[in-house]
Amino acid sequence: MLSVRNLTKKFGGNEALKGVSFEVERGEIYGLLGHNGAGKSTTLGIILSMVAAGSGEVMIDGVSVQKNPRKALRKVGAIFESPAFYDYMSGWENLRVLVGLSGPFDAKIAKEIVERVGLSKRIHSKVGTYSHGMRQRLALAQALLPEPEILLLDEPTDGLDPEGIKWFRDFVLGLREERGMTVLFNSHLLSEVEQMCDRVSIIREGELVYEGAVHDLRDDRPGMRLGATPPETLAHVVERFGGEKMPGGRWVFPKETRICEVVSSLVNAGAEVSEVTPVRRSLEDVYLEYSRLSEA
Amino acid sequence: MMFLHQLRGELRKLFARKRTYIGYVVFLVFEALLLTLWVHVGRDQFEALAKRNFVPVELLSSSLTATYWIMGFSMFLLGSIYFALVSGDIVAKETEDGNMRMVLSRPVSRLRILILKYCAVIIYTVTFVIFVGITGYSMALLAMGAEGGLFIWNPDMQILAIYPNRDEAFWRLFMGACFMGLSMCVVSSLGFFFSCLKIKPAAASVMALSVFFIDFVLQNIPFLADYKDVFITYRMANWVYVLQEQIPWARITESYSILMGLNITLFTIGWMVFQSRDFKT
Repeated sequence: MLSVRNLTKKFGGNEALKGVSFEVERGEIYGLLGHNGAGKSTTLGIILSMVAAGSGEVMIDGVSVQKNPRKALRKVGAIFESPAFYDYMSGWENLRVLVGLSGPFDAKIAKEIVERVGLSKRIHSKVGTYSHGMRQRLALAQALLPEPEILLLDEPTDGLDPEGIKWFRDFVLGLREERGMTVLFNSHLLSEVEQMCDRVSIIREGELVYEGAVHDLRDDRPGMRLGATPPETLAHVVERFGGEKMPGGRWVFPKETRICEVVSSLVNAGAEVSEVTPVRRSLEDVYLEYSRLSEA
Repeated sequence: MMFLHQLRGELRKLFARKRTYIGYVVFLVFEALLLTLWVHVGRDQFEALAKRNFVPVELLSSSLTATYWIMGFSMFLLGSIYFALVSGDIVAKETEDGNMRMVLSRPVSRLRILILKYCAVIIYTVTFVIFVGITGYSMALLAMGAEGGLFIWNPDMQILAIYPNRDEAFWRLFMGACFMGLSMCVVSSLGFFFSCLKIKPAAASVMALSVFFIDFVLQNIPFLADYKDVFITYRMANWVYVLQEQIPWARITESYSILMGLNITLFTIGWMVFQSRDFKT
């Protein structure tokens, strides 16, 4: 459905993208994971023809965005982080104006979508009076009109409260269930990507450092930050339990390992234990791990 | 048909904003002020002037002549501010606020987006001038009555015309307002051009006004009098020739062809810049 081929982009002398390629299958939810400035939004900008690629090509359902952007974008709905609407107009008027750029505005379908995103009561209020969550719902409504086949979401849950995040996630998953919607999801939150996506790419300094299934990214092994002196005893004991040192001072152990046994062994070996902190694998850890792998 | 729907959307955006109406409100207040001064302070002076020059008083101090004064003397200096303000905002404000990304994510070409915006600005400009004409004349009617014709005296453009017949005077003035509207489109085109660049909306408006006023000042420098024809503001002031008894159509056609060429050039360069821009957060 979406094919991104060898994209490069420079801003001034800065190389923002260095040959980014990935494919998103129809009906798939694909995550593009990376820190701010990693190149996610530039990639999305090129897909939407807002940013000119240095080289490379984007195909949406077989149509080149670079050669025929209007035709390619007919199947696309997009949501940006902090969506900007015309605050002095109502939500409904905003929909009318924006959707009108894609084709005739069908009020009946628009009403259904507005109801679906739960904005019926406030749709005729000025957008300036909306909360961030309501703006995001309006953004979702405009992205779903007229009838896209692929949704591009650029950090859509940023700034939402936990309830809003859950609602958004369930809504997007529901769209995939019901309409077989293809979704490209940009985020810097590993947990979000884990809960929504089938496959994921990690982008770092304009390069893809990982691409694969989300479950491959998951690391269910117990992770722990351990502090003990002398360090040789710590290393010796941890090694005995099959511990593996990860970047960021984190140790991971085989699944069946009981951490209390590790700590008890350290104490019995005469070590002075100063820290035992369970650590979840962060995006930073994933970055560092895959960077290390890519360097190797 | 689709274009008209989209243009309606663009106009809805433009006219839903409160700042679009600042110009309308200011002109209404200005018209009321000028007419009050005309009636209470200027009338005696006009009557004396009329007697000295053997011009019938009802020509010099009439609602139509007052309307000509309101339009002719205020639109260039005061109106240009509002045209620059609105046209400077039209692209740059949406880019600054982030609305442009929402617009560009739609299957619509950048050229079409700019054509829609440019049309909206031109409609605003022309209707604004006509609004000032209509409200100015309505207020003058209330203040001075319907009697009298039209007296045109413009030493800069070397025009002296008298229209004792009210109907002819009215249509000449209406035609003048339409041509003035076309002239003022140049200010809007300047604002639109700067708005397409990667600058803040306020900067776009200021740049447009700067170009306009610099041109105006240069045009009025005595030693540049022989080169008046090359200045935009001089060409814009040619609207007043439709008020001359024998309308010099060749001269008007020449000036408006040059102004139209300038508008097209400004739009084209603005579009080329806009087309080559990257839109990111």
